[in-house]
Formats: sequence, C-alpha cells, structure tokens
Amino acid sequence: MPTLAELFHAGTLATQYDQVPALLAGLDGAELVKAGNLLARLDPDSVTAETCTVTITGHGTLNALVPAFTAELARHGILARTTVSDFDSYVFDLSTPTSEVYRSELVLCVLDPFVVLDEVPTPWRPDDVRTVLDEKLALLAQLAGTYAKHGSGTLVFNTIPLPRDFAGQLVDLASRAELGALWREANARLLRLMADNQKLVVLDLDLVLGEGIALTDPRMSVYAKAHLSPALLARYAKDTAHLARQVKGHGKKVLALDLDETVWGGVLGDDGIDGIEVAESYRGEAFRAFQRVARQIGAQGVLLAAVSKNDLDPVQAALRDHPDMTLREDDFVRVSANWRPKPENLAELAADLNLGIDSFVFADDSPYECGLVRHELPGVAVVQLDGEPALHIQKVLRDDWFVVRDLTAEDAQRPARYRDELVRKDFLASFESIEEYLAQLGVTVRIAPAEPREIPRVSQITLRTNQFNLTTERLQPADVTALTEDPACAVLAVHAGDRFGDNGLVGVLFLRREGETLHIDNFLLSCRVFSRGVEQTCLATVLAHARDTGCAEVLGSYRPSAKNGKVAELYPSAGFTPWAKHEDVTVFRHDLAEIGAAPRHVTLTVRIEESA
Amino acid sequence: MTTIDGFVTIVRDELGLAVTADNVGESFDRIPGWDSVHLLALLVILERESSVPISMPSVLQAGSLREIYQLTVAQ
Repeated sequence: MPTLAELFHAGTLATQYDQVPALLAGLDGAELVKAGNLLARLDPDSVTAETCTVTITGHGTLNALVPAFTAELARHGILARTTVSDFDSYVFDLSTPTSEVYRSELVLCVLDPFVVLDEVPTPWRPDDVRTVLDEKLALLAQLAGTYAKHGSGTLVFNTIPLPRDFAGQLVDLASRAELGALWREANARLLRLMADNQKLVVLDLDLVLGEGIALTDPRMSVYAKAHLSPALLARYAKDTAHLARQVKGHGKKVLALDLDETVWGGVLGDDGIDGIEVAESYRGEAFRAFQRVARQIGAQGVLLAAVSKNDLDPVQAALRDHPDMTLREDDFVRVSANWRPKPENLAELAADLNLGIDSFVFADDSPYECGLVRHELPGVAVVQLDGEPALHIQKVLRDDWFVVRDLTAEDAQRPARYRDELVRKDFLASFESIEEYLAQLGVTVRIAPAEPREIPRVSQITLRTNQFNLTTERLQPADVTALTEDPACAVLAVHAGDRFGDNGLVGVLFLRREGETLHIDNFLLSCRVFSRGVEQTCLATVLAHARDTGCAEVLGSYRPSAKNGKVAELYPSAGFTPWAKHEDVTVFRHDLAEIGAAPRHVTLTVRIEESA
Repeated sequence: MTTIDGFVTIVRDELGLAVTADNVGESFDRIPGWDSVHLLALLVILERESSVPISMPSVLQAGSLREIYQLTVAQ
C-alpha cells in the first residue's frame, strides 16, 4: 500500500481519500501531525468524502490546530472543512449571528489562560483576577446563550488551565491557594454552562493535562501568541474529532474484547479456570480493574462482546463459575468463543445485531489479531493492547470512542434489549416461515407525539441511526424541541414491543403539514426492530391519518447515503410513486386513493394530535 | 539533517510544500502555498529532528527557507 506522502506527492490523495483511515491507523503524535499537514493542504472541493464544517475561533494563534484536527477527523473517514477566524475574534464571532461561525456544524472556541491574564494589571492580587474571571464568565455565558438561540451546530468551550508561571508570581502560599480556589470556581461555573445549554459542550482540559502534556511552550506564547502547546492542541483535536464523529452520526456502539490476556491473565485452554488471573495477584488485580472499567462502560449503553479463540464451554464456565470474575456472561451481548477468524465473528455479530461494522471497537493483546481485523474490517476501531495489563484501561479510554453529549434513559437498558434481540433470532430460527414467526411474536406498536422527556432520545435516534434513516438529517435536542413547538409539524415517537419485552422508543416520524399536503420530512427506525412489520404499520398509520384529516396527498423524501440503501424502496413498497427529484433527493407521492392495511400481526395504538 | 538536501526533503514531506534545492533560497512569497503559519510548524519539526533549540525570533525574522536552514546548522 502506498504511503500517505506518496499519494500526496503523486497528486492522487484527494481521489483516494477513502484509503486515508487505513493509512492513518495506528499513527499518533508527530506522525499524525505530519499526515495532517499534508491532508490540510488538499482542496476540500477536490475530495469526495463526508465533510464536517468547522470554525476555529478563540483567543490566541490557533493555526496548529488545523492540521491536527484535519488528521484526527480523517482517521474517522471525515473530511474537515475548516475556517480559522481572525486572531482573537471569538467575541465578535459569537455575538454576531450572521457570522460564518453560525453556519458551521462545529465551532471550536479555544480558550487559553491569556483570555484572563491579558487583562490582569501589574502588580496584581487574587482579587484582581477574580474581577477579570467574573467578567469573562459573564461574557462566555452570554456568548453561549446567543449561540443557543441562533447557532445551528455545536459550540465547544474548554476549561481555562491555571499556569504555574502565573500562580508562582505570588510569593505567599495563602494567596496562591486563594487564586487556585477562585480560578477553579470559575472553571466549575464554565463547566456548568453545559447543563442548561443543549448546543454547548465544555471540555475539561485538566483531564488531558493530567496525562503529562505541557500546557504551553513559553517561546511560542511570547513570540507568536500561540498560548497552548502544539501537543495540547493535538490532544484537544483528538477529543473534538471524536465529538465531531458523534455529531455526524458515527458513534461507536460495541466494545468487542478478546479474553485471554485481555479480560483475564493467562490462557484459559492451558491454565484452566483456576489458573487464569482475575484478582488477588499483581497481574490479577490489573485485569480486575480492567474488567470493572468494561462493566462501567457497558452500564452506559455500550454493548460488550467477547471474541475469543477458545472452546465455548470452558469460557462459559469461567464467566459463570470463577468466584473472582467481575464480568459475567450477562454483561456481554454475545460471547463468541470458537476457532474461526475473529473478523468473521465480528461481522456475524454485527449482522445479528443489525449494526454497521464501523460501530465496533475491538481490543486485543495479539498484534496478529489486531492486524487481521484492521485488514479485513477497516471500519472497526482497533485498540492494540499488550502484555502489560495495567495499561489496558488507558489504552481503551485514551480515544473517546464512546463519547456522547448526553445519556438517555434508553442507554442503560440497551445491552439487555440487544441480548433479547439475539434470543428473538434463535426464536425465529425455530419457525418454518417468517409469517408464522411474526404471528407468534406479538408485536405491539404505539405511535404518539414525542413528550418533552423523550426529546433527548428522539435526538439520539437521529444522531445514531444510519441504516433506517430516510434523509440522514441529524437533529440536536434543541432542533427537536423547535419542531415540537412548530404548529405545522408533528414529531411522532414510535414505541415497539413484543413477547420478549419492551423495545422502548425505537423510531420517529417527522411530519409537516402544508395546505392539503402532509410531508414526511424524515422517518427513522432503530435497527433492532427492522423487518417485523413496524415500518409498514407506521406508514399505514400516517397515510390513514392524512386521509382522515383532509389531506389530498402525502410526500416522503429519500436521500441516499452510504448506509441507508436498504430503505431506498420503502416508499414504493407502501404504494408511493416517484414524483420529483431534487439533486440526490427523490420525493415520493401517495395520492391516498388506496391505503394498504397495517400488518395484521401488529397490535397498534395511535394518538396523533396536530394543532394545525 | 545536516545538508540543505535533507532540509528540503523535510519541508517537502512534513509540510507538503513544493520546495526544491533551486527555490529554497527564494523569499517566502515566491514559494507556492507558503503561509506564515508554517513557520511555527517548521520550527517544531526542525527542533525535533535536530534535537537542539533554535532561536524562534530569528526564525520569525528569516526571509527565506535557506536562512532558516542556516540557523539550524549554526547551532
């Protein structure tokens, strides 16, 4: 495979951009920045790839962030369209809703200590700093408020680190403690701005400084007004790129773990259940700590899977019977223990869970297995572990693979629901025909306007769902709220369940009425409930509702994406006919003359209220 | 990186700039794609490669890439 530099100098990097994630896999630090310098030189218009528009604004010189962010986003297959605002123009940018900033999907407003230090007099006391901090916090809150009203994307602030070279100018420790306290109080207020502003994210830079990254390079700070060190900006780029990945709907959903030397020490096949290390020894404690972290991640909606080259029986016995094991079989949606290649097991699990393989993160101590998965399944994020289990936690958590803006009530229940789903598949296998299966499944569907408490989940569905997503339009919670408040629009939440349990809020219909036309602006359904009549039930319901409320037609749009090919024929299959085409969007029309009935095996409850 | 050729290679590979031994002495405004923001990135790279600190004010005042090269070998 040619290197990134070779493609760049041959002039073919733009047309072969789809190879970039594979070329960047495993790169970090200086190597990744070097790649970013080349990637940032490409003309975005010459590249065919999913893009994310980003404005970088803030206080100091931030140009070093461009290549770093470009490379980090390219790792995820996304092209950054980056604009760097004029030096120190963040106040102007954010207080001007007509500015470019307000059209970007992501606004990185990078705050450095000189936001405060530049306004502190000489000589100074802690009280002078307090005054400046109070002013800045009020300003930032106001800017974030303006953005919440007019912004169309996500605004990112960060906590402002306190430099040692500033605190050290106070010779008495009592004053230094006072400065430390009031500085951190200001940062706490900054972090809390997130609580009532759905469009704001505040990154805590203390967390990454704790990794030993220098806050500043004094020469760059003095000579070039670049107040944050290149290494810190590179780390900031990594975190914000993960945020961008999530905003673009590429959140990771599954953590697939090897077992021997990853989840426990030793080799189960050789050492036996009593011989593996999971607690009470030096290495055993390291594995116990790692298992606790896996369990903690799993408790927040990430699906855990085990993929191990082992016989199944001893693995099940170890997870069930070992007295000191932290992770148990129930913590995993599936335990794949067999001798087939791991990429096969991962692909099969993705198919059974109805998830894209690119929503997987795979961690293994074997370079061979990691290399194989990288090669066979380039969409999988691979975390290469090694023989030092004390470092497993850091390696899995270093990239924020599972980061989301908010958790929803649905998240805690997700692993159990997916486990139910795999049970359903076994149930399906016991039937001769799909009709017989569906008749026995007892599917229930409830369609009703989204309640205020359901808005985070509705937004999450638009952000996470890629396959059954007719237009791939992503909506933040504030966008959903606006639609629920629009009298011409209806946001209908679709709940489903069956004999195995409640699936929860699994889909959304976005409707808009315009005269005698009812538009289905988007229709989304979680991949967990495909192909059991839920989608047909939803469309039949909307059509009947349109007819009963005096509409003459229903229009539905389909915009193809890399992932949603399976719903290209959804509207035609429900009696719609192609009606118009605008660029890549096909609009389908139903004249309401003949409406198909909802599938008979589905028990339906409907409550639709539109004020218009 | 002790020769001007090695320096040119670094600038080409790391920054993606079309620099050759022939135009490395030209003023920055005649280097295609040059932007003053490259100075900081280049300084970081050169210090990493040569493992010695280079005077940043001198780099910021340099008129051409060749002058920057001369600063690095003068250490």
